[in-house]
Amino acid sequence: VNVVDEYLGNTSENVTSGRAVGLIRAYLPIVVAAALIALIPLRYQDSRSMMSVITVGVLFACYAVAFNIIFGSTGQLFLCSGALAGIGGYGSAILADRSGWPVPLALVTSTVVAALVAGTLSWIAVRRALDTIFIGIVTIAFALSFENLVLGKGDWTGGESGLRVSTGSDSWLTGQIAPYYVFLGLLVVYLVVFRALQRSRIGWAFRALRDDGLAAELSGVDVSRYRILAGTLGGAMLGLAGGLYVFSESRASPSTFAFGNVDVSVLVMLAFGGIGSLLGPVVGAAAITWLDEFLDAVGYAQIKEMIYGAVMVVLFLGFRRGVVPMVTDLFKRKPK
Amino acid sequence: MKALAALLDGIVLGLQYGLLGVGLTLIFGLAGVVNLAHGQIAVLGAIIVALLMGAGWAVIPAAVVGVVAAGVFLLFLDLTLMRAVYREHGEHRILLGLLLMLGISFVIDGFLNWRYPIESLTIRIGGDPVPILGVNMRTGSLLATAITIGAGAALLVFFQYTTLGRGVRSVIQDEQGARLVGINPSSVRSFVFFLSGSLAGLVAVTGAMTAPQASSFGIRLTTLALIVAVVGGLGSVAGAFLAGILLGIIDRFASAYIGQFYTTVILLLCAAAMIVVRPSGLLGKRT
Repeated sequence: VNVVDEYLGNTSENVTSGRAVGLIRAYLPIVVAAALIALIPLRYQDSRSMMSVITVGVLFACYAVAFNIIFGSTGQLFLCSGALAGIGGYGSAILADRSGWPVPLALVTSTVVAALVAGTLSWIAVRRALDTIFIGIVTIAFALSFENLVLGKGDWTGGESGLRVSTGSDSWLTGQIAPYYVFLGLLVVYLVVFRALQRSRIGWAFRALRDDGLAAELSGVDVSRYRILAGTLGGAMLGLAGGLYVFSESRASPSTFAFGNVDVSVLVMLAFGGIGSLLGPVVGAAAITWLDEFLDAVGYAQIKEMIYGAVMVVLFLGFRRGVVPMVTDLFKRKPK
Repeated sequence: MKALAALLDGIVLGLQYGLLGVGLTLIFGLAGVVNLAHGQIAVLGAIIVALLMGAGWAVIPAAVVGVVAAGVFLLFLDLTLMRAVYREHGEHRILLGLLLMLGISFVIDGFLNWRYPIESLTIRIGGDPVPILGVNMRTGSLLATAITIGAGAALLVFFQYTTLGRGVRSVIQDEQGARLVGINPSSVRSFVFFLSGSLAGLVAVTGAMTAPQASSFGIRLTTLALIVAVVGGLGSVAGAFLAGILLGIIDRFASAYIGQFYTTVILLLCAAAMIVVRPSGLLGKRT
C-alpha cells in the first residue's frame, strides 16, 4: 500500500495517467499471481491426487485472504476460520441435500449465515471491548463448540464419517481440473476485494485502527463499524469458500473444518507470507502446500504435526514480518 | 440418587479441573502467557510415568519423576523461548506468547502421536468402593480427590504464609512494585513456570487413578484448563478452584441429564458467556 501511495504522489503532475499507473500497480500483482497459479496444473493435471492437493492449496489461500481481512486488517484474532467455513460447508450441504434447495441458493444462504455469525462475534467483541486474548478465547470456544456439535448431531451431519453430498455432484463444480480453476477464480475475487478495500477509505480506516485503535477512535474513525464490517466480510468469504469446497468434494467431513486443520494452517500461512499484505496469504499457502507434499514424499508424514509446530515457533520468534513485506521492502529501497 | 451421585462425581472432577486451571491461570497472571500447551505438558508427564512404570518402576517414584519432569519442561520453556515474549509489551506480548505456546502444543502432540500413539497411563488403586452419603465412590477417585485437596491446601498455605508465595502474589499484582521491595520477578516467574508444569503433571497422575490418560488427551485438557481459568478469572488462584468445582458439577449434571456430546459445548459456552458478561471472571480483579 505504501508503494502505491508513493507512486501516486510521484505522478501528481499528470493526475489521470497517475491514476492509471496507480491502478495498474495496485492490481498487477494479482494478475501476475493468478497467471502463475493458473499454470501449475499444466504439470499435475494427470494426477488426481496432486490436483486435489493443489486445489486444497488454493482453497487455503482463499481462507487465508479472508482471515487476513479480519486479523491482518483489524487485529481481531478470530480462531474460528474452520468453523465459519464449516458453517458454509455443512450449511449448504444440508440445505441442498436434505432440504432439496438449489445449489446456488444453498450456497448464498449458508454464506449469509456464516457472515452473520462472524459479524455477531465481532459485534460482541466490539461492544464488550474485548482484548485480543479474549476474542481469541471466545472464538476458540465457538470453534470447538462447532466441532462438538458437528460430531454430536450425527443425524444431521453424519458425525465422524461426514456427510455425502449427492446434489451437484454431476455439475461443473466437480471433476479433476475444474474445481482448481473455480477456487482460483474465487481467490482472484478475494484478492481484488482485499486490494479494493485497501485503496478505499475503509482500508485507510483499517490501517489506522490496526496501528492504534484508540488514536483512530479519537480522530473520528468509527472503529466499531469497521471491525464489524471486516468480521462480517471475512466470515462471508470463509463461508462461501467452505460451501464451494463441499460441493466440489461431494462430501463434508469434520476434519475438513477442524480447528487443528484449518486455523493452524491459516495462521502459519499468514505468518510465513506476511500478515496484512496482499499476496502474503498466497505465498504462505503455496509454501505450506509445498512443504506438506514434500514431507509426505520424503516419508515424514508421521511427524508433520511436530514440524508444523516447530515451523510456527520459528516463524513467530524470528520471522514475524513474513516473506512478502520483506521482498516489498527490497524493491522499495532500490529507487531511493 | 442420580443427582447426588452427579454432585459428588462433579466435586471430584471439579477439584481436578480446578488444579488444571490453577496452573494456567498462574502463568497468565504472572507472565501474560496463555499456555495453550498446558494439557499437552500434563499428558507428557503422564506418558513419562507410564513408561517408567512399564520399565518396572513403582508407582510413587515414577509419579514423582513424571510430575517433576513436566515442571522442568515448562521451566525450560521459560528460560528459552519465553524470553522473546518477555521482551514484548502489551497486546504483542500476549499474542506472541499465545501463538508460541500453540506451536509448542503441536510439537508435543505431534511427538506423542508419533512415538507413543497408543500409550496411556492407568494407575490402579485397589480396594472396595466406599459408600459416601449412600453413593458408592471408587477408592481411586477418593485418593485422587484427597491428593488434589492436599495440593490445593498446600497451594493456599504457600500463597498465604510463605515469603516466596507472597512474592508470587505481589508480582501478579504489581510487577514494578514487587521489584521495588526487592523481589526478582524473573526468578519468581521461573519458579511459577516450574510449579505450573508440576501441577499439570499432578493432574494427569491423579486423573489416571480414575480413568486412563491417553497420549491424545492434550487438547482436551488444554481446553478444560482454559475454560476453568477464564471462568475463574485469569490470574486468580482461588477463582480457578471455585470455577473448577462449579464446572465439574455442571459437567457431571450435563452428562447425566443431557448427554455426553453436549457437555463440552456447555462448558465452552460457560467460558464464552463469562467473557462476554464479566471478562474478569468469578474472582478476577476488575481491570
